[in-house]
Amino acid sequence: MYAATTSVALVGGDVRGVEVQVHVGRQSEQFKLSGLPDTAVREAKDRVRAAVASSGIKFPNRTVTVNLAPAHLPKTGTDFDLAIAIGVLAASREIPHPGRVVMVGELALDGSVRRGSSSIGAAVLSARSGVSCVVARSAAAEVAAVPGSSVHGVSSLAEAVALLREGIDQRTPADAKRAEEPEAFGDLVEVRGQPLARRALEVAAAGGHHVLLHGPPGGGKTMLARRLPGILPPLGDDEAVEVALVHAAAGLNRGLSRSRPFRSPHHTASRAGLVGGGSGVAVPGEVSLAHRGVLFVDEMAEFPRSNLDTLRQPLEDGRVTVARRGVTATFPSSFHLVGATNPCPCGYLGDRRKPCECRPAVVSRYRQRVSGPLLDRFDLVVKVDRLEASAVSGPDPDSTSTVRDRVTAAHGRLVEDAPVLSGEAEKLLATALDSSLLTGRGVYRVRRVAASICALADDGAVTEEHVAEAIGLRGEW
Amino acid sequence: MSEPVLVAPGSDAYPVGLHDLEDAPPIWVLGELGPAPGVAVVGTRRCTRYGLDLAQAFGAAISRAGWSTVSGLARGVDTAAHRGCLRLSGHAVAVLGSGVDYCYPRENKVLYDRIVASGGAIVSEYPPGTPPDRWRFPARNRLIAAMSAAVVVVEAAVTGGALITARLGAEIGRPVFAVPGDVDREMSEGCNRLIRDGAHPVLGSADLIEELSLVIGPPARVTGTDHGIPSEGVAVSELPGLWSLTVTETLVKLGRLELEGKVRRLGDFVVPA
Repeated sequence: MYAATTSVALVGGDVRGVEVQVHVGRQSEQFKLSGLPDTAVREAKDRVRAAVASSGIKFPNRTVTVNLAPAHLPKTGTDFDLAIAIGVLAASREIPHPGRVVMVGELALDGSVRRGSSSIGAAVLSARSGVSCVVARSAAAEVAAVPGSSVHGVSSLAEAVALLREGIDQRTPADAKRAEEPEAFGDLVEVRGQPLARRALEVAAAGGHHVLLHGPPGGGKTMLARRLPGILPPLGDDEAVEVALVHAAAGLNRGLSRSRPFRSPHHTASRAGLVGGGSGVAVPGEVSLAHRGVLFVDEMAEFPRSNLDTLRQPLEDGRVTVARRGVTATFPSSFHLVGATNPCPCGYLGDRRKPCECRPAVVSRYRQRVSGPLLDRFDLVVKVDRLEASAVSGPDPDSTSTVRDRVTAAHGRLVEDAPVLSGEAEKLLATALDSSLLTGRGVYRVRRVAASICALADDGAVTEEHVAEAIGLRGEW
Repeated sequence: MSEPVLVAPGSDAYPVGLHDLEDAPPIWVLGELGPAPGVAVVGTRRCTRYGLDLAQAFGAAISRAGWSTVSGLARGVDTAAHRGCLRLSGHAVAVLGSGVDYCYPRENKVLYDRIVASGGAIVSEYPPGTPPDRWRFPARNRLIAAMSAAVVVVEAAVTGGALITARLGAEIGRPVFAVPGDVDREMSEGCNRLIRDGAHPVLGSADLIEELSLVIGPPARVTGTDHGIPSEGVAVSELPGLWSLTVTETLVKLGRLELEGKVRRLGDFVVPA
């Protein structure tokens, strides 16, 4: 006797349907599981058997063979439990065949269904293929927010069985939880002084530029970086799903939050931690968890240079391919890079009040730890100085929401049609190139930054003034 | 490059001031000593940005006045003073504690070469090939003091070569100038003590030149700038305050000045081109 149910595997920031094929044979009692399961999946045998018994349903005392197809794709986690249990019951004719329904959830021994990280994947597959899905009740409202999905929540195996016996189309799907307002870490109004850095952050947010903040400890580099996600427009529907899927692949649940991710890996993070790794199944790294958000690389020069250089491919391509033994997966990794670094190892080079303890050779070695090609990615380089007491008083600077409105408007303009340079502006850039104030790449960067400034100002074309400001903003570390 | 020459006391090329030393030694000179009166700018190797800025400003101001900047090529204040001087194509004299062919510290080789190439001089009382030894440096300091018409101490702790230079200078009648600083800062303590003991407090580069002209005579050259950026440069973050403009206006003006070639960047600093 045979039945097949559908579940979901998260692969490289996307979902794949997994067919759970169940055969119940005539031989003596045995439970076999194939299709490259990891230990967690293999242990489903014990959970499913106990959960079925606890739900008052007879578990077949014959040979049960379960295959998770495609069989060459490695499977991980406990989210296949529900689909396996329903498949076994359908194959042994305890319940009618459920038809095409996507099922995701971990079974507890008492028969209750617990939420799994692939619940969001079930909703995405449901939306994509137009079938219903069943997930743990605790996850239902949240993942039902995936546009076009039809989600049913169950709290136990018995409830799932009842739902399928009755016919899933007879029930109304779960209501989607209203998307919460994105929450940001702190408001920009709390950042006192630093007018240049604030301006740079706004321009960066408008044009998607990577920013390097440098300066002595205590200047507020981290404070500024943490406020970048808040001044970016909230995630759109599709973006929120993309981001949630990548997080789910790392076993993290962020729901369909509209807030932009902010990731801040420590400098001791491994290469696999940064760009992705995992054994058996590919797990996304920090560059992918920061997808559509901000990757803040604090103490940049403390990172091993080879690790920093692994950021270059994701920066270039907006996605990263993780190749591990047996699996290759591609995760999205389109993020805002914000680097922060001290001017020198002791942190006080250039400070007006405290002497620097570093020998010049040490300082130049420190700077060489960040490779030129990576430094080249930063369109904006800003010094963040320690504040003099006088700068802390004064009128309130613009708040996060004010800046976000300007940035959102600029985004729209940049998407509609990228601003073109006026004749005078072109001439100005040509002068800069001739006088070797800018290199060819420098001109390219200034051009991009000037376009963002123009979009923020809502001027039709990029003027001389925009180009001059872009040149003014181009600092060096 | 030219060869080092030995200049004996009494010869025409011998710096007049050195005769004030009881043991006026013959000196090795690489480059040109020049006729301009010298001003010593000295201070700690472990200086703050504040000290660096000032030393550079003083070096620049002294060369703008047409005088020669004398220092010791050491890290920190010395280096900044030489740099400020060379930036305005001034005459720089570096007195070493090693042979004139032995650049110490090594990282100042570029500066060393520039001093010679720009018509300045490297001076030492030790024969070429002499390595830098700690004990030679205090002795070198008396040459710095004696070759100069005045000694300016920028930042100094209570121990250290800069105070030795100032004391030796005072002993042979050189006026000593010191930059006052916060009383709770290690690198101001030496200067503050000098002032207590009778040194002239320096209130800025313009003030320094004014005071020095009373000692040396009126400056030979005077120039100015129209964008208000002092020769020692300012941090980009200070420009809005300096120009009384908004951030955007400041950045636009800065970009324009750069395009016109009137100013240039040195890291986070903007200096007149």
